[in-house]
Amino acid sequence: MAGLAHGLGGLKYDPKKRHRPPELNVFVAFVVIVLLFEILGRLFVGDSFLFNTRDGIDTLFNEARLRIIILQVAIIGIIALGVTQVIIAGGIDLSSGSIVGAAAMVGTMFAQSSINQYGMENTAPVLGLAFLDLPVIVAIVAALAAGLLAGVINGLLIAYGKIPPFIVTLGMMLFARGVANWTTKGKPISYLQEDYAAIGAGMTPVFIFLGAALVMHLLLKYTRYGKHTYAIGSNEQAARMSGIDVDRLKVLIYAIAGFLSALAAIVLSSKALTGQSGMGVMYELDAIAMAVIGGTSLAGGRGSVLGTCIGALIFGVIISGFTFMKLDAFYQEMAKGAIIVAAVLLDQWRARQQAARN
Amino acid sequence: MKKTLLAASLASALFAQAHAADTLTFGYAAYLFDDKFSTILRNGAEAYAESLGHEMIQVDANNDQGRQIDQVNNFIANGVDAVIIQSVDSSAAQPMTKALADAGIPAIYVNRKPIPIQQLGSMAAYVASNEIESGTLQTFAMCNQLRAEGKAGGARGYLLMGQLTSEAAIQRTADAEQVMGLDMCNFMTLVAPKTTGQWQRTKAQDIMTNWLSTGEPFDFVIANNDEMAMGVVQALKSAGIDMDTVVIGGVDATDDAIAAMKGGDLDVTVFQNAAAQGEGAVNAAIKLLNGEKVDREVYVPFELVVPSNADQYANRN
Repeated sequence: MAGLAHGLGGLKYDPKKRHRPPELNVFVAFVVIVLLFEILGRLFVGDSFLFNTRDGIDTLFNEARLRIIILQVAIIGIIALGVTQVIIAGGIDLSSGSIVGAAAMVGTMFAQSSINQYGMENTAPVLGLAFLDLPVIVAIVAALAAGLLAGVINGLLIAYGKIPPFIVTLGMMLFARGVANWTTKGKPISYLQEDYAAIGAGMTPVFIFLGAALVMHLLLKYTRYGKHTYAIGSNEQAARMSGIDVDRLKVLIYAIAGFLSALAAIVLSSKALTGQSGMGVMYELDAIAMAVIGGTSLAGGRGSVLGTCIGALIFGVIISGFTFMKLDAFYQEMAKGAIIVAAVLLDQWRARQQAARN
Repeated sequence: MKKTLLAASLASALFAQAHAADTLTFGYAAYLFDDKFSTILRNGAEAYAESLGHEMIQVDANNDQGRQIDQVNNFIANGVDAVIIQSVDSSAAQPMTKALADAGIPAIYVNRKPIPIQQLGSMAAYVASNEIESGTLQTFAMCNQLRAEGKAGGARGYLLMGQLTSEAAIQRTADAEQVMGLDMCNFMTLVAPKTTGQWQRTKAQDIMTNWLSTGEPFDFVIANNDEMAMGVVQALKSAGIDMDTVVIGGVDATDDAIAAMKGGDLDVTVFQNAAAQGEGAVNAAIKLLNGEKVDREVYVPFELVVPSNADQYANRN
């Protein structure tokens, strides 16, 4: 009887069993990778990864590097937010990269200006002269509507058509890319308005990413929408039995994912100052990888926005770290793949350890 | 199918005329009509053929190799004088080459190289631009410009590759490296190993920003295509770098690149002359029909584009 606490049914406080946020593992991995680059950098490159070593600049950190680490993952990060909740709900979204392409084409079509940044006149507008210099909000709404529509179609087919998400979103991946190519027959859209270009300029993509992440975090953590999303991912049958309108929720989940892909498309096309039908190719896989590195389980029911954000940062650190280490292009891809698998392996191992302790 | 039938009936009608009026009838098998470069190419071929008083029938394989083989067989059945093909799949050209050779009709492949090239017999040829030229022209022009700017004592820079699996990326990169190995240009060295921007503007933009974060001074950036060169331009501009201090080169002469060149941001690009490839294909066909000998591979030169001649390349590719 000595081990049982009376009156608590054995549930005595045990510091070893204290709940640790699952994001902690990911965060530790993130710190380890950063430190690894710092050490390797000092050993082999003779430079610091994090800190400023340049003369004439009076900052502690290498701010330019810290900025690009997050800037280069902000756009795919926005997509990953939507993908995270899809995976938590037990689904998968392969269409996000193609939706980026389609939404970028639709958006930039309405964002054309009569004159380009060099003062040259636009002689061949996509939609005709009447559609030049429209208010920027038109382009934004058009792109978001396109993404939302694609997401709703995904959701309807999955929820009411009872087709597996993998198949539906695979179909949408091909279809949306087809739409993107069809809009201008593959020709890029240039001559974008300055106001539109401002959306992706400087660090704005990072603020949009963080804003979207905050909204998604609150949505998943503190609303009924979020709790139900985890519920259907853990056990769809049980969720249905307990009165959750699973079908309606699924439509909503994929609609939000489509919307976020379109948001990413706006930022991307604005940053690149062009709309191109090939935009977003393979982004869906990077987005899924960010979510998975961040601790989102492909089995559903587990994951968080915070984890995905750290997953995105790990991606950014890896890209910048390899450039910093002056590694040849061929090695970069190999190492990136290895690190993705290693991160998940580590997470699984730690989760098992924790389960064994409990 | 309708298009094929139409082409077939047209072909027989024209064939009947051809012998009467001594005009030639060419069959042109395009891999896809909805492709800008390919369209300029076939329009160039058609305009040139018509200017010589000949006829051309165009068919669209819609990116389907099976359909293209049928279309070529249709051309043969209707007795066209020569067939020009931009193949859907370069490694699947053999059945078409054989069918045309058996029928004694000249086969001219354009832009896309039939693999293996040895399949082309005495009545066949391949007309295209030689990929070896583009990277060489580009890097050599950059070398000259750096020299002119007085940087022959040593210039450092970066090299952005296209997709690592792409033949064009590998070739252009190898050529750039070869030029940088010449006595005249070996003052050009790379700050960091070459890396891939996957042909994409945004990828190149991010890589350039990463490079900028190292704070290393540099004088040039070589990019395997214009899209990546544009990404470099945008990254440098948003970092507030004076564009006159850096020599940037791309390949393709896209509309955006020409605009950037006229705006003083891009220094070098290279133009692949689609229309001239079309003309070259028609010329090769006519020569073969006249019994003249034609090289198995006919190359249309790439053209160097720099600010002084940029105007004439606007809206051409």
